[in-house]
Amino acid sequence: MSELASESSSAERPRERTPSPSEAPAASESSDANAAARVLEIDDLRVGYGSTVAVDGLSVTVSRGEIVALVGESGSGKSTVALAALGLLPRSARVEGTITLAGQDIGSATPEELRQLRGRGAGMVFQEPMTALNPVLTIGFQVAESIRNHDSQPRRHKHYDDRCVELLERVGVPDAAKRLKQYPHQLSGGLRQRVLIAIAIAAGPGLILADEPTTALDVTVQQQILDLIRDIRDTEGTGTLLITHNLGVVADIADRVIVLRNGKVVEEADTETLFASPKADYTRQLLAAVPKLGDTQHEDRHAAENAVLQLRDIVVEYHGRRVVDDVSLTVDKGEIVGLVGESGSGKTTLAQCALGLVTPKSGAVDVFGGRLDSKARRRLGVVFQDPASSLDPTKTVAQTIAEPLVIHTRTGRAERQRKVRELMDAVELPQSLLDRRGHELSGGQRQRVSLARAVVLGPDLLIADEPTSALDVSVQAAVLDVLERLHVGFGFGCLFISHDLAVVDRVCDRVAVLRGGQLVEQGPCATVLHHPEHPYTQALLLASPVPDPAAQRERRRPARA
Amino acid sequence: MTRFLARRLLLALLVVFLVTVVTFVILHLLPGGPARGVLGVKATAEQIDAFNKSQGFDQSIPVQYWDYLIRLLHGDLGASYTLNTDVSTLLAERLPKTLVLTATSTILGIIVALPLGVWQATRRGRAFDVVSTGLAFVLYATPVFFLSLLLIILFAQVWPIFPAQAAQGDTLADLLSQPGSLVLPVIAGGAATAVAYSRYMRSSTVDNLAEDYVRTARAKGTPERTILWRHVWPNSLTSVVSLIGYSIPVVFGGSLVVESMFNYPGVGLLFWTAARNADFPVLLGVVLVIAVTTVLGSLLADVLQLLIDPRVRVPGAKS
Repeated sequence: MSELASESSSAERPRERTPSPSEAPAASESSDANAAARVLEIDDLRVGYGSTVAVDGLSVTVSRGEIVALVGESGSGKSTVALAALGLLPRSARVEGTITLAGQDIGSATPEELRQLRGRGAGMVFQEPMTALNPVLTIGFQVAESIRNHDSQPRRHKHYDDRCVELLERVGVPDAAKRLKQYPHQLSGGLRQRVLIAIAIAAGPGLILADEPTTALDVTVQQQILDLIRDIRDTEGTGTLLITHNLGVVADIADRVIVLRNGKVVEEADTETLFASPKADYTRQLLAAVPKLGDTQHEDRHAAENAVLQLRDIVVEYHGRRVVDDVSLTVDKGEIVGLVGESGSGKTTLAQCALGLVTPKSGAVDVFGGRLDSKARRRLGVVFQDPASSLDPTKTVAQTIAEPLVIHTRTGRAERQRKVRELMDAVELPQSLLDRRGHELSGGQRQRVSLARAVVLGPDLLIADEPTSALDVSVQAAVLDVLERLHVGFGFGCLFISHDLAVVDRVCDRVAVLRGGQLVEQGPCATVLHHPEHPYTQALLLASPVPDPAAQRERRRPARA
Repeated sequence: MTRFLARRLLLALLVVFLVTVVTFVILHLLPGGPARGVLGVKATAEQIDAFNKSQGFDQSIPVQYWDYLIRLLHGDLGASYTLNTDVSTLLAERLPKTLVLTATSTILGIIVALPLGVWQATRRGRAFDVVSTGLAFVLYATPVFFLSLLLIILFAQVWPIFPAQAAQGDTLADLLSQPGSLVLPVIAGGAATAVAYSRYMRSSTVDNLAEDYVRTARAKGTPERTILWRHVWPNSLTSVVSLIGYSIPVVFGGSLVVESMFNYPGVGLLFWTAARNADFPVLLGVVLVIAVTTVLGSLLADVLQLLIDPRVRVPGAKS
C-alpha cells in the first residue's frame, strides 16, 4: 500500500491498484485469503478508566469492502473502540484484548509502528467537522500532510499539490485546486467533512474508521456523505467501521450491525436480519424508540381559535444578509406547530423573534394578540436545545424550576415547594434529584428540568427549539412523551423547532418548512409530510434515512439513478 | 482591514487624550505644587506667587489644561523646572535608552518563555514541569527591586562578572559601548515577562493539545514533534500574541524600578527624579510617552494577531 503515497503513483488513482469489491468477496473462498481480507480484527477488547468500564469484551472483524456498523447510545463505548483501534486512547486507559489492524498487533506495536499504522492501516473520520481540522493551517497543508506522513522520502508540502487536488476531487470537493489555499472556516460543514474523508483515505488505508461522520450535518448533506462512503467502498474496496447512534444511517449503508450497550455487545447480525427480526430486547427498544414518519394519527386540533402567536411578514437581516425573508406563521391555542429546516434556514432566528430576543427589520410579532410585554412573558415558556448550557450551574433543580415563580409571582415558599414537587412528578423525575445541580444530571434529566421550568407558570405558549436533538433516541422518545403529556395537561400552544421530520410528525399538528429564510410550505402534518408539494420538502423527506433497510433501498433508487 | 485600523487609531487617540486629562488633573490637584521644590525652602511667599503666576497655576485647572493642550498640539511639551531643559530634548535623549532596555528584556523574556511554556505543557505533571513551575512562581513573586539587588550582589560583587551600574553618558552609543553593563538590568526587567508568558503559553498549549484537530493529526500518522510545532504552536501563539501589547505598561512600570536600581539613564530614572521634585512638565511628558507606547503596542498586537490568525484575516464561508 505504501507505493500509493509515493511520488511515482501520484498521477494514478488508488482504485486502479486495489482489488475491486467483486474481487474482495471472491477472495473469501480460501481461509488464508479470508484472513488477508480482514482489515481489522478486535478480539475480546476491554477498556477501562479508573473504576469505570468503557468496553467490556467486544469482538469485531471488518473485511475489505465491508461496512460494519457499531450502534449504541451515548456512553455505550462505541467511540472508544475506534480510538483503541488506532492506539489513540489516553494513557490513563487500561486496554486488554487484542486488536489487529492491517495484520499488525496494536498492543505490541512500537510508537513508530503505531504512527505508521495511523492513516495507512486505517484512516479516521470524526464527528465534528468544525473542530477536527486545524483552524490556522490551510486545507492543502492538512491534506498534503496525510500523504507526506507516509512517504518514505517526505518532501515539501507543495510537492503533493497535484495529489491533493486529485484526492479532493475524489471526495467531491468542487474547485479543488482553489481549496488548497483556503482555511477550514471558509468551508461549509459538509465540505469540511469531505476534506476529512480525503485525509482519511490519503494514504490508501484498507479501513476507514468513521465515528458519527454525519451526526453534525444536515440530512441532505448526510445523504451525500453516506453516498461518498459507499462509493469509496465500491471503488476502492475499503472496509469501514461506522460508529453511529442513528439507526436510519445504519439501515442505509451498513452490511452488518453490532449493537453495543454499556460496553457490551447486545446483538450482532446482518443489517437485514437485525431490522427484520431483532433478537435482543434492547435492540427492539432502540428500534421502537426511533420516531417514524406516518406512525402518528393526526386529529385536527387546529380549531382556528384565538392565536397565541402570530408572526406576520417577518424580515430579519444580519449585516445586510436576509436570514428570515417575509415569513408569516400562526400558532393557535392548544396546537403544536412544527418549524423544520436545515441549519441556516432561519428557524432559530424566527423563534428568537417570537421571544423578543431579535427585533425583526419589518413585520409584526403578536403574542396573545398583543405586544410581548412583561405580562405576556409570564404566559410564555421556553425550552432550548442544549440543556447543559441552558441550566444555571449554580442552582439546584428545585431552585431552577421555582425560579419563574420567584420572578413573576408572590407564591409562598410552601406553595412553591408543592408546585415544584408536582412538576417533578409530571416530568417523571424522582424527588431525590431536587437538590442536585445541572452537571450532576444526565442529558435527558436536564431536559426534563428545562420542561418543568418552562411550564411552571402554566404557560399558554411554549417555544421549544430543538428540545430533543442532543438526546439519544430512547431518551428522546421519553422526553417527547413527557412533552405530549404536559401539552394535554396544560393545553398550551407550542412552536416546536426541529430538523427531524419524524419527530415533528410525531409531535406536531401542523408544520412549516423553512429554507434559506423563506417559508416553502406549510399545512397539516398529514399533508405536508406525507404528500409534500414543494420539491425541497420532498428532498428533505427523501434524505432523512428510515430505520428499514428495504425501504431505504427503495427510497435510494430514484435518487441514485 | 483599513477600516479596522482607522477605527483603532481613532480610539487610540481618544485614549491618549483621556490619559493626559487624568494625569494633568491629578497632578494639579496634589497639595503643595512645584513652587517650593523649584525655588527652595528659603523662597518668600511673593516669589512663590510670582512663580505660580508665571506658570499659570493661579488659573483654574480647565484653563491650565487648555493651554497645555494647545502647546502640546504645537509639539511643545514644556520645559523642566529643575533641569533647565526642554522636556522634548530630555525625552529624545532618554527614551531610546529605555526602549533598548524594555525591548531587549521583553523580547528575550518572550524568546525564553514561549518554548519553555510548550516544554512544560508536553511534560505536564512530570518533574521538569513541577520544578520549573515552582521556580517560575518564586521568581514571579520576587519584587523587581529585590531581584535587582540579588543580581547585583551575586553577579557584581560575589562573582564580579558584570558591572553593577549601567554605563553613563548622554547618547545611546555611550550606553551600548559597554554591553556587559546591560546584562543585569535586562535580566531584572525581563524575568517577570518570561515567567508570565511561559505560564500563558503553557496553559494555551495544554488547551490546544486537547483539541479535536490534534486527534485528527495523530490519526493520520503525524509525528508528535510535527503536531507540537506545526499544529499546536501557531494556535497557542495566536492567543498569547494579543497579550503582548497589554504587557507594555507593565514592562515600563518595571523599568522605573530597574533603572533606579542600576542607575540606568532612561525615562524611568527621569520620571523618578521628576516625581520627587514635582517637575510637572517632565512627569506629564513621560506619562504621555508611556500612554502612546502602550496604545501603539496593543494596536501592534492586534495587527499581529490579525496577520497570524486566518480566521480573523480571511472572511469565512457564507452560510
